[in-house]
Amino acid sequence: MKSSRWTASLFASPWLLTFLLFWAFPLLYSFWMGFTDYQLLSRHDPRWVGLDNYRALFSDREFLASLKNTLIFVAGTIPVTTILSLGLALLVNRKFRGRALFRSGYFLPWVTSMVVVALIFTNLYQRGGYVAFLAELVGLEPPVNGFLYDSGTALYAIMAMDVWMALGYYMLIFLAGLKAIPDELYEAAEIAGASPLRQFFSITLPMLRPVAVFILVINSIKSFQVFIEIFVMTMGKFDTSTVVYFIYETGLRTQFKFGYASAAAYLLFMIIAMLSVLQFVLLRRRRSVW
Amino acid sequence: MRRLHCFLLVLAGLVLTTGTALAGTTLTWWQFWTDPAIKPTIDSMVTRFEQQNPDIDVKLTDLTWANGHEKIVVAFASGTAPDILELGSDWIAQFAANGQLADLSDDISDSADYQGWSMATYEGGVYARPWILGTRVIFMNTDLLAKAGYERTWLPTSLKDLYDAAARIDSLGEDIHGWGSNTAEKHRLYKKFLPFFWSAGARIFDDNGDYCVISSTRSVAALTIYKVFNDLFGYVANQRGIEDAFLEGKIGIIMSGDWLLKRIELEKNPIHFSTTLFPGENGPGKSFLGGEFLAINADSDKKEAALKFIEFVTSPGNQVAFCKANRSANPSSRLAQQDAYFQSNPHLQTFIKQIAYAEHPPVDPDWVYIEDIIERAVEDALFGQRLPGQAMLEAQHEITELMRSE
Repeated sequence: MKSSRWTASLFASPWLLTFLLFWAFPLLYSFWMGFTDYQLLSRHDPRWVGLDNYRALFSDREFLASLKNTLIFVAGTIPVTTILSLGLALLVNRKFRGRALFRSGYFLPWVTSMVVVALIFTNLYQRGGYVAFLAELVGLEPPVNGFLYDSGTALYAIMAMDVWMALGYYMLIFLAGLKAIPDELYEAAEIAGASPLRQFFSITLPMLRPVAVFILVINSIKSFQVFIEIFVMTMGKFDTSTVVYFIYETGLRTQFKFGYASAAAYLLFMIIAMLSVLQFVLLRRRRSVW
Repeated sequence: MRRLHCFLLVLAGLVLTTGTALAGTTLTWWQFWTDPAIKPTIDSMVTRFEQQNPDIDVKLTDLTWANGHEKIVVAFASGTAPDILELGSDWIAQFAANGQLADLSDDISDSADYQGWSMATYEGGVYARPWILGTRVIFMNTDLLAKAGYERTWLPTSLKDLYDAAARIDSLGEDIHGWGSNTAEKHRLYKKFLPFFWSAGARIFDDNGDYCVISSTRSVAALTIYKVFNDLFGYVANQRGIEDAFLEGKIGIIMSGDWLLKRIELEKNPIHFSTTLFPGENGPGKSFLGGEFLAINADSDKKEAALKFIEFVTSPGNQVAFCKANRSANPSSRLAQQDAYFQSNPHLQTFIKQIAYAEHPPVDPDWVYIEDIIERAVEDALFGQRLPGQAMLEAQHEITELMRSE
């Protein structure tokens, strides 16, 4: 018994060591750094400053602007992505010729590198680019210098790209949820004379609720952490800086304020954690109703 | 017996190699030139140095501009920085203030032969040796100039001339723009604005460096003029985008560095162009000055060998070889500037002349923050978020606050 416990520990140790060294320790260390004035290029050792970093963040114009942009990003992309991916899942769940091709096609952007997608969209959004051409076709006036060089459109252009990219992935999760709904429910509804719309609202949607909540949680976490798109497409300019980009700029790119950046990172962590807990609480309540 | 011979042979080999390693010095050098056009020149320079100094080996590490600065900062923080570093001019004060660079003040006997020392001088000490300098000049598409009614050889002698030419070129057609205007691009926008700012006689700090005076009337006037160029004739894009459009013949006048000469040279159908000094109110204005420097790690115990190496790399002959391979226009060595390569090329001459009318940002460890504040002010003014006067006044408050917090 004792030897099998040792064998189990031995097999678990690579993961455990990696977890402790590269996850647990940095997490705890950065939490401590958030209460210090640690600056990589500083002449003195890190000093304990208590909650000063957290207080300063709430009066930091750049951080607040980044937080606002992040919230816009989250609030703008999550509902659109969820509704559109559900619609797509319903469409490709039907039997028609070339269904597999459509499913693969919608999923393709998700397996493409975000950097590659961001570079392609940078070109599409530029002055005289394809998106500007399309906008003119429908009688809209595109921004003079391109969609990414205008504070009024840059963030929304990135959000649109993000929705396009994420659709296929969430569609696939919804599709799995749709496949799990027993056909008997629809058959019974048909016998009872329920219209397709009624079936959707009374069967499909309630049965998909756990999947929808799962999508909401993971999409929220992903959206709060948006970074690569911003880094590649605008470098945080034109009102597109997000909290993670702010952390990168403050901690790693030019200022090397590790303490301040760590505090911002933990603030973001708290926001995401609170939102996730809220979503799980809502899910539990719904389950009790079911 | 045979075994004994083998053992002795191996032992002798070990003793010899260990002995050689102990006697020699290995210098570590981090540098940024990785382009296939210039890398062989760097490698050959290192090889020649090692041949001339058999007791010194140089271990080269290539950095990239994308993350080189971060690597250097982390290396200093973790005590793993190399003996010799290539540094951009605006990084020197930051590292010197932290005591991370060796003070070279007593080791410079040939300072008069070189330009750019002021960028490496912090609180009276000299912390790096100028290698290759960089400035920005005016590039003009002479075909568009001709279409706008100018002689192809015409050169602007004042900002008013530049304005008129940009306006006339801009009126040639919807797809033609008079002026290449940088968008909000970190570390680049301020380099384009500061020539307007300095040429208008504006200053970031007062003469003693005690107060920020960036919201002066001249400063606001400079930002207003810069905005006028942007709003009326500007093709707004990042630096690469502006240069692409210039090479396609869509922009009449842009401000750029010597790298554009190389790009034009590599074009299949190069445009016809001229170069000239950035004009001021009357006569030459002040352009932006920066450059690449070689510094020695303060913790290096091989300072003598490191000094020998950086003197070798920055020697006039090696600077000429470097500039020829990289098509660079501004060696820091005055002697190198006399080489026929520079003397025979009018565009390179423009760059060399512009250095005399160029200014560099204050050598301040906090420049990275100040630069950020200035860039935000310029961005906000350019893209209508704040009026130029308001943007500059707020920038002055922010910089003053930053100075107070130090």
